[in-house]
Amino acid sequence: MTEVLPVGIADHVIDELRGICGDDGVRVDRPARVNRTRVPAPFRVHRWAEHVPDVVVLPRSTEQTADVVRLANRERIPVVPRAAGTGLTDGATPLRHGILLDVKRMNQIRDIDLVDRTVTVGPGISMLKLNEVLRPHGVIYPDDPASYPCSMVGGRIGTGGWSLIGARYGHTRDLVISMTVVLPTGDVVQVGDGGGRKLRKASTGFSLKQLFMGHEGTLGVVTEATLELVPRPEVEFAAFFGYPDYATAYESTGALAKSGFATLAGVVLFDEWKLAYLRRDDEAYVEQPESLRAVVALAAYGNRDEVTPAARALMRIGRETGGDYLGDEVSQGDWAARHDRYAIPLHGRAPDGQVVPMSWHCEDAALNYSVLPQVREEWHAIVARYRERYGIFDDWGMFAYTNGAYKPWGDYLVEIDVGIWEQQLDDEAWEGWVNCKREITEVTLKYGGSISACHGASREGDVEYVPTELGGAFDVMKQIKRTLDPNNVMNPGKYLLDQAYEEAP
Amino acid sequence: MTDVDPATQTFVEQWRDHAYSCFSSGHKFCRNVCPVMGVTQDENHSPTAFHANVVAMEQGLVSLEDVARDYVHCTQCGACETRCPNTLMAGDFYRHRTRTVDLVKAMRALAVDNGIEQPGWKRWVDETVRVRSEPVLDVPVEQERVADWADGLDLPIGGETILFVDCEAAFHRTSLPRAVARILRAGGVAFGLMREQWCCGGPSREMGYVDTAREFARHNLADWRDGGVRRVIALDPHDYVAFTEDYVEYFGDDYDIEVVFITELVAELIRDGRLQLTNPVEAVATYHDPCRLNKRRGIFESPREILRAIPGLEFRDVDHVTQWSYCSGAGGGLAVERPDLTAAISGQRLDRAAALEVDTLVSACVWSERPLSRAGTDRGIEVRDLMELVAEAAGLGVDPPGTGGQPAAGGSAADRRMA
Repeated sequence: MTEVLPVGIADHVIDELRGICGDDGVRVDRPARVNRTRVPAPFRVHRWAEHVPDVVVLPRSTEQTADVVRLANRERIPVVPRAAGTGLTDGATPLRHGILLDVKRMNQIRDIDLVDRTVTVGPGISMLKLNEVLRPHGVIYPDDPASYPCSMVGGRIGTGGWSLIGARYGHTRDLVISMTVVLPTGDVVQVGDGGGRKLRKASTGFSLKQLFMGHEGTLGVVTEATLELVPRPEVEFAAFFGYPDYATAYESTGALAKSGFATLAGVVLFDEWKLAYLRRDDEAYVEQPESLRAVVALAAYGNRDEVTPAARALMRIGRETGGDYLGDEVSQGDWAARHDRYAIPLHGRAPDGQVVPMSWHCEDAALNYSVLPQVREEWHAIVARYRERYGIFDDWGMFAYTNGAYKPWGDYLVEIDVGIWEQQLDDEAWEGWVNCKREITEVTLKYGGSISACHGASREGDVEYVPTELGGAFDVMKQIKRTLDPNNVMNPGKYLLDQAYEEAP
Repeated sequence: MTDVDPATQTFVEQWRDHAYSCFSSGHKFCRNVCPVMGVTQDENHSPTAFHANVVAMEQGLVSLEDVARDYVHCTQCGACETRCPNTLMAGDFYRHRTRTVDLVKAMRALAVDNGIEQPGWKRWVDETVRVRSEPVLDVPVEQERVADWADGLDLPIGGETILFVDCEAAFHRTSLPRAVARILRAGGVAFGLMREQWCCGGPSREMGYVDTAREFARHNLADWRDGGVRRVIALDPHDYVAFTEDYVEYFGDDYDIEVVFITELVAELIRDGRLQLTNPVEAVATYHDPCRLNKRRGIFESPREILRAIPGLEFRDVDHVTQWSYCSGAGGGLAVERPDLTAAISGQRLDRAAALEVDTLVSACVWSERPLSRAGTDRGIEVRDLMELVAEAAGLGVDPPGTGGQPAAGGSAADRRMA
């Protein structure tokens, strides 16, 4: 019998890695490698082996990380950084085996600066754990994705994450002040605004910080980040409104988002399909009249003296634009449970209504407010066709979330949730799935949107369209990639960046 | 799968859909409440990995030999199950609960059945089989001395209600059963002891030795039946879980024994005025929710009710949901195979207590008290059992550990201080 998952890296390299990270920081056992492969995005279980790394390393410091990357660069071995492995694109899934660099042991809080209002951490800490420590000091780090209890700072940077309360506090890109990055050659640099570690705005040199935000591990590994601290909000106000139809809810969403209140943390629009899904399959759904077909949720965070009058005005706007307040139980309960509710991952429905175990796929286009109704109709129609044809997909409805930091009125993170019965996947069904994604993407681009507001666009079905979306900017990406990573060792194969090495220099 | 024995094949078929429910989700909320992950940061030890391995076994990517050792890294505290979005959000509707603890037990049993044994556990179970009680560390254990802890208390044998005294309590922290006996007597609860108490079998089961565990269970049930026992009072959460989960599985509908945990009974005695707590206990204390009570069996109110009834005690509570991530690290055999991790987990628990500026950590799980005491010594926090506090508050006196039976050689500094 042939060996299962052989280690495709020479023994002397493994020994060298052990010299860097210690014996307990280097793992070649199959469970260690197999369990650092998938992310929650749809996954070809039958092709799992193609994505298993050769070796897992668990460095404890910037120095160890730099030594690992330097070695990989010398030996031309792929390196894939991985934090929590909870991303919804495949950034942390190896395409070419190699070294899986797990940053979870770099989970220390190094410095809490209550004077200049920053906290400096390793990439392997989750926001939940970080805020447990920060809260007694009267401050928080307000990066609040749906994956708040499980995702980690390193992955948030790697994907360029989006926060549920970003309208008030900004998203990951706005909340990371500076960071230490190990480049693909093993060199270590500090990037921020200018050279200061704790400066929010500087004009010295190029603005490199955003270059290292959302690169899906293709440009390096962040090993330390200095983050924003904000005053712990005195009040977290949430309100849910119900509407008889999508059109009214859409208008109401716009009115709320344009209200101009600085404490407005976010507005979320649920469409009819989402309501139908919640009615059908979410046991935590609080029963509402059948006439209710769409919902808008909003939240306002901040000091009591600001939030109280803002909340009063937002309630008035919600009602005046056709919303029925759904009551405190729904408003407070559903908002409080927002992190647990972001996936109801257990099950979906086959077309005959049968309950089946399904994984969850979430499209996350960025789109302007003006095009939301049309995109919604076209997306649902696409999913309905594939659902009928393959019988392993389910339409779990759509959300639209305010997307702009501090300026939530102009564009939205638009999500269609699709259930996939992965156990039934074969190559043909997978191809069907990818084609479905492609059609969704084409609609996004037709309406002037971007493929991804927060997950990243490096997956099959998205990535083919990145050059189309970015145009000449994609050529700049390739030039940067080749310059920083001359041997294509950092997460190779992602974002079509192999093209950077195929063309004449 | 090829080259797989039929038992493994059956195991995979039995668990594949359940494991898949976790695997397809992959959100890993469990990781942040898992006490073992909290100290190792090693994904191999995550509840998600425990499920994913089943899917990987089905795919032929890993074998039982590959994964068996990873399943040592679990205290079977149940935190992952309570925190799982599948349990939280779909549980009632579909009667679903993510069963990580059962999966870990099943995988360990499969390993033992296939001759893959962990040396520490093998020694532990062999010795338990030899002496019929667990080889409580640092204390000589002999079956004929299983009730020596009760010396001088003049307790009857048999009766409708019996007190089951956990091995750690019977041979090491004898102050606990002595306190419980006095409390029950003061509260007017008639009870006796077993004719011949054997280990509850829970630890053997947790380590994968199912046949051995069943043999212990059969003996104990027969002993109860012979003595006309209708009700068993458990003073240790591990026994309580064995009696209310494992025994139900073994004996099905024939199992007609009422099992009550001591805190539930004592809270009732206090509530009904049958037990008066009048002596002040001058301490600033917080309560450690034992995992098997809080996360496995939903018992978290009665211990708090008791603590609030103790005069003089300043009780600084941490709610039971926050405590999902708390653990002593003593359970599930971890302390036998990885005492280093148990110590680290206990250390984290005591750090949390220290942050509350308390002088006492109260537990209701005797197995937790040794590692917690060790960690408490370094931090100036005394670890006490809830029943010992109750006995003190009821003016019944508290014996030093080791009274009655064996001396508590090798006990913690906290134990010695109490002595």
